[in-house]
Amino acid sequence: MPQITTNWSGVITNPERKQSYIRSVREIDKNIGSFLSFNPDLPGSDTTVKGALGGMPIAVKDNIAVTGHPLTCGSRILENLVAPYTATAVQRLEDAGAVVVGKTNLDEFGMGSSNENSALGTTVNPWNNDRVPGGSSGGSAAAVAAGLVPLALGSDTGGSVRQPANFCGVYGLKPTYGSVSRFGLTAYASSLEVIGTLTRDIDLMETAFGIMSGIDENDQSSVSYEDSVVPGSDISSVVMLSVGNDMLDDPVARAYMETGEALRAAGYSVTEISLPSLDLVVPAYYTIATAEASANLARFNGIRYGYAPDFAENPADLMKKARHEGFGREVKLRILLGTYVLRSGFQDQYYGRAQKIRTLIRKELESVFSSADLLLMPVFPTQAFLKGDSEMDDFKQRLADVFTCLANLSGLPALSLPIGVENGLPTGVQFMAPSFGEQRLFKVARNLKDTFPLQTPPNYLDIGSLV
Amino acid sequence: MAQVQDEWSITAELARLELDENEELILAREAERMRELFLTMSRADADKPEPTTQAVELNNRIRPDYVDSFNNVESLIEASPEQEDDFFLIPNVL
Repeated sequence: MPQITTNWSGVITNPERKQSYIRSVREIDKNIGSFLSFNPDLPGSDTTVKGALGGMPIAVKDNIAVTGHPLTCGSRILENLVAPYTATAVQRLEDAGAVVVGKTNLDEFGMGSSNENSALGTTVNPWNNDRVPGGSSGGSAAAVAAGLVPLALGSDTGGSVRQPANFCGVYGLKPTYGSVSRFGLTAYASSLEVIGTLTRDIDLMETAFGIMSGIDENDQSSVSYEDSVVPGSDISSVVMLSVGNDMLDDPVARAYMETGEALRAAGYSVTEISLPSLDLVVPAYYTIATAEASANLARFNGIRYGYAPDFAENPADLMKKARHEGFGREVKLRILLGTYVLRSGFQDQYYGRAQKIRTLIRKELESVFSSADLLLMPVFPTQAFLKGDSEMDDFKQRLADVFTCLANLSGLPALSLPIGVENGLPTGVQFMAPSFGEQRLFKVARNLKDTFPLQTPPNYLDIGSLV
Repeated sequence: MAQVQDEWSITAELARLELDENEELILAREAERMRELFLTMSRADADKPEPTTQAVELNNRIRPDYVDSFNNVESLIEASPEQEDDFFLIPNVL
């Protein structure tokens, strides 16, 4: 059982500690805005379940269903929806004793890298409130970084767990596609996305992943993890992605080089490689992601659930009005792009080609892992950027997904980990492993833990100091 | 630009998206920028590979054919925007 579990025991079950905890979270989160809803007293929350996570409060990104909690996806179109069932990944954590205390903010339907695309709230970075927490799981990352919960769930479609984890200075895991059930995760890009975890404790991350993973009859794409797992023992070789001098900001580049040096000092063999298809990653990713989004979001039509306009002339008009008034700009853009690349006459040129490029990328990564245990890469070219930063507009944010969406196109697991703090903001790197090689990721993170100890932002909630 | 904007207007119609004038102008510009990025895929030597539709090999899993009950019907009805007795209430469109 992870040591951190002991620190959090009694926070929910002891009435006095619980009240003190709730007061502290509300006070700290007034400035951060990580939660869209915070309600540890929701009827149905069972705080008495014994298990590896007995009584541990957790936060869940608001695009993952938890019975009785809102399921807004950060969108006006689902602003009043309450989930009637619980996602398998959450259910498994609850069965191990975890208690969902709230739902965290996100870019609408998971579309964005800053949390600025949420229609329902503003979340800021706990390290510097003028900066974004990253996205789309920015609320989960901010809540964990500020110490409001020890563990939070996010979803990673193109880096949406790892990038905010990196911006907020916590661990972020994107598991192998299929290892964690997606049942109960609101679909955005079904072939790319997976539920992941954010935490400040690598042992807790491993425990939570072990509980969540495994086959689920409600998710056709889920697989039996035990039958597929790649052992984490005997890892010795790491390849570093060769990155151009102009691709990374200085603090990010320094953290990247320091990690390589630390690995060498720890006895790993470290060599550099380049990926010939790297330039194609972002266009292929966004072609596929938007195509799948346009299909998945067709269900939000003003009839089945969610927002509906007061009046419409006919069913088509009803659907258009609901989507016009319910969706934000980024969501509309991605639906528009996805519809375009799937249009008759354009499909081979865009969507078909992207699927073939996806094959090229997978083969390149297979070749990498035929001779190395892990791939080291940056997470994002910059540290957390300023809110409304004109230097980092929406288009540039999409281009900057190049290092993260590689794992989603290939389905491989990747873990972002904090390396240090520079100019008052966290820096970090990510490791990628072959399919079902999460144990390798946990092992290398543990090996680097003492070299790069985690730091805490201002106003961090030290749970041990709660009365 | 007008021709480009028309193309995106047609696409918006197919996507059941109603866009106001200002929105259409901004989205057409952003969409066009992304389309140009997508076009860079044409320079890849990618005619031969089979397309990848899923990152993991999937076999068709078939569940047993049996009648199951769902005991939380009320919560589904309550989750709808409006309801009357056991029915979803939807806007009058006829």
